[in-house]
Amino acid sequence: MAQNEELIANVVRQVLKEIGGAAPAKGAPDSGISAADYPLGVKRKDLLKSPRGIPFEELTLENVESGRVTFDDFRISPDVLKIQGDIAAAVGRAQIALNFGRASEMTKIPDARILEMYNSLRPHRSTKEELLAMAEELQNQYGAAVCAGFVREAADVYQRRKLLKGDLPSTD
Amino acid sequence: MAGTKRSKRFEALENRPVHLDGFIGEWIEVGLYAMGSPQDPKPSIKIEGDKIVEMDGKPRSEFTAIEQFVADYAVNTKNATEAMAKSEIELSRMLVDINVPRTECIRLFTALTPAKVARVLETMNVVEMMMAMQKMRCRQTPANQAHVTSAKDHPVMLAADAAEATFRGFKEIETTVGVVRYGPFNALALLVGGQVGRRGTLSQDALEEAFELEVGMRGLTHYAETVSVYGTERVFVDGDDTPWSKSFLASAYASRGLKMRFTSGTGSEVQMGAAEGKSMLYLETLCIMVTKGAGVQGLQNGSISCIGVPGAVPSGLRAVTAENLITMCLDLEVASGNDQTFTHSDQRRTARTMPQFLPGTDWIFSGYSAVPNYDNMFAGSNWDIADVDDYLALQRDFKVDGGLRPVQEEDVIAVRSKAGRAMQAVFEELGFPPITDDEVEACTYAFGSKDIGDRNIPEDLKAAERLMKEGITGVDVAKALAKRGFRDVAESLILMMRQRVAGDYLQTSAWVASDGTVYSAVNDPNTYMGPGTGYKMSDERWEEIKSIPWAIRAEDI
Repeated sequence: MAQNEELIANVVRQVLKEIGGAAPAKGAPDSGISAADYPLGVKRKDLLKSPRGIPFEELTLENVESGRVTFDDFRISPDVLKIQGDIAAAVGRAQIALNFGRASEMTKIPDARILEMYNSLRPHRSTKEELLAMAEELQNQYGAAVCAGFVREAADVYQRRKLLKGDLPSTD
Repeated sequence: MAGTKRSKRFEALENRPVHLDGFIGEWIEVGLYAMGSPQDPKPSIKIEGDKIVEMDGKPRSEFTAIEQFVADYAVNTKNATEAMAKSEIELSRMLVDINVPRTECIRLFTALTPAKVARVLETMNVVEMMMAMQKMRCRQTPANQAHVTSAKDHPVMLAADAAEATFRGFKEIETTVGVVRYGPFNALALLVGGQVGRRGTLSQDALEEAFELEVGMRGLTHYAETVSVYGTERVFVDGDDTPWSKSFLASAYASRGLKMRFTSGTGSEVQMGAAEGKSMLYLETLCIMVTKGAGVQGLQNGSISCIGVPGAVPSGLRAVTAENLITMCLDLEVASGNDQTFTHSDQRRTARTMPQFLPGTDWIFSGYSAVPNYDNMFAGSNWDIADVDDYLALQRDFKVDGGLRPVQEEDVIAVRSKAGRAMQAVFEELGFPPITDDEVEACTYAFGSKDIGDRNIPEDLKAAERLMKEGITGVDVAKALAKRGFRDVAESLILMMRQRVAGDYLQTSAWVASDGTVYSAVNDPNTYMGPGTGYKMSDERWEEIKSIPWAIRAEDI
């Protein structure tokens, strides 16, 4: 087992050397967290808690039965998503870090609104103005600047590729 | 041939099952071409600043939405000039060269354009691809996924089959429905049954995208997989999505602490009539790169529900092997197909699985039908429960870890029964239509849904609707189980709910062990560099694989 761990450490070092430097800056590790802290659920329970602050160790069946812990406590926090993004970036997976960055922002958006936003981004569903308004909402209401930029980019592409509402011979 | 004297040999051959399969010659215009169509683009790249302004012979102003997404998110421009300068043969030799580490291959392959990637694979034969897979798959230890479905959508049978499947070793289980409105109950059956068979099981319910996300948010499933991407803009839009909407959906899953992967496969564009004359592998490469660009950790590919298309053309199954390998070369988890039925020939269906089975992949099947073929609601599977002893024999014959283990009849009966009783308790606690002791008994001992009675379907569907409307969650199910004495199963459900808080299983190629520890490409990365390295079967695991119960033991003679 010790030999295996050493092997893993070597591979991680090699990955960092060869890929780490090339990873886009956005997901670059700055939390001091590395692949050595993974899995967080085993090695860094101290970093994990429910959105209202109940420690990971206390998310137990007993506490569910007593009513101290509820369904809403079993949610990932924006901070943990950022940490998982840092871990992904540290092993050379920059795009995953970007995805988790968007996800981190989305934790604040209610379930129903997320589903609506996804549907609005589907082809031929929204005008450019509607998409830009959605970007504003993401930015101002939820502080989701990365998601807002992503939706604005989609609005431009949809305009160029005729994927906006009305671009089709009317099917809806 | 009328009036011509027939050869009895040829007549006999024509009656073989393989003659019932569809075979078709190459047809460039409609994209019936496995790899290297003369109409595939020629690789090229031009970068200004850090932006790609020309890719594979096309200027940026003419990029489709897919091409723009791939150019901006999936090609590492920093290494692109270096990587693109290498010849195809140089790059493919790196994949099979044991002295070139996986990390170096990843560094270069994530900096290639789609046309270049496809061309590299054209230089390889299928044995070279298998060698490369051994090195390039993300997670060192291979694993396996099962389909658990029922022609009757019978909740008790589904729970029993889920328990047996995970007891046999499948670490992920996937269901879908015969009747759509049964969706919530199918999710519930796999949630409960899956944990009875093995604590730590990941389960999913493959239905419409928005529904999948909703049941996931509720804690009734742990991951999603049927989030499809396509290789031409027209087919992508016909599928009612764009790379941006799919990426947004991917982030939505992560924001709820749910594992997910995309799905694609060679032949889907042909099947949807818009392949634009490109080869199946080139279009699939675009799908893989969209997945990479979206920051999704993995992909289910290997033609999947379109396997009949590559299965019919020359070099088609080689292309299917190639698409799995490309996924690995882009550092993505691969759930490598071997699912939908495509042939009447037992030889062909076995051979089709060897390129994934022998080298090992993250998920060799996606999935293996853990139920009889007539119960498989994914239109049948290449392997099913009736073949499981053959599969165990193959693991033993070749000393290959295919993810399954031999089991004893009495143990399987015990887990099936327990899963049925657990469902019975949950149904009663939540006020759903009763499950009788006779139903539990029948499902415990059945081979398939033909051996069991029918449920009151209208009543079940009403209750399934209520499950959704009342917002019943995984925590409610755990409480019901605990209250009725299934405390260990309840603990398992909570252990899985905790995964959503930790997010460890969001990393590449993750599965969850029974103590809750997540193993993924982060802490179990593939280190293969030739014989004596990489995944090594433990003595304990080899003893397990060897011990098929029906083998004669020397000491008994």
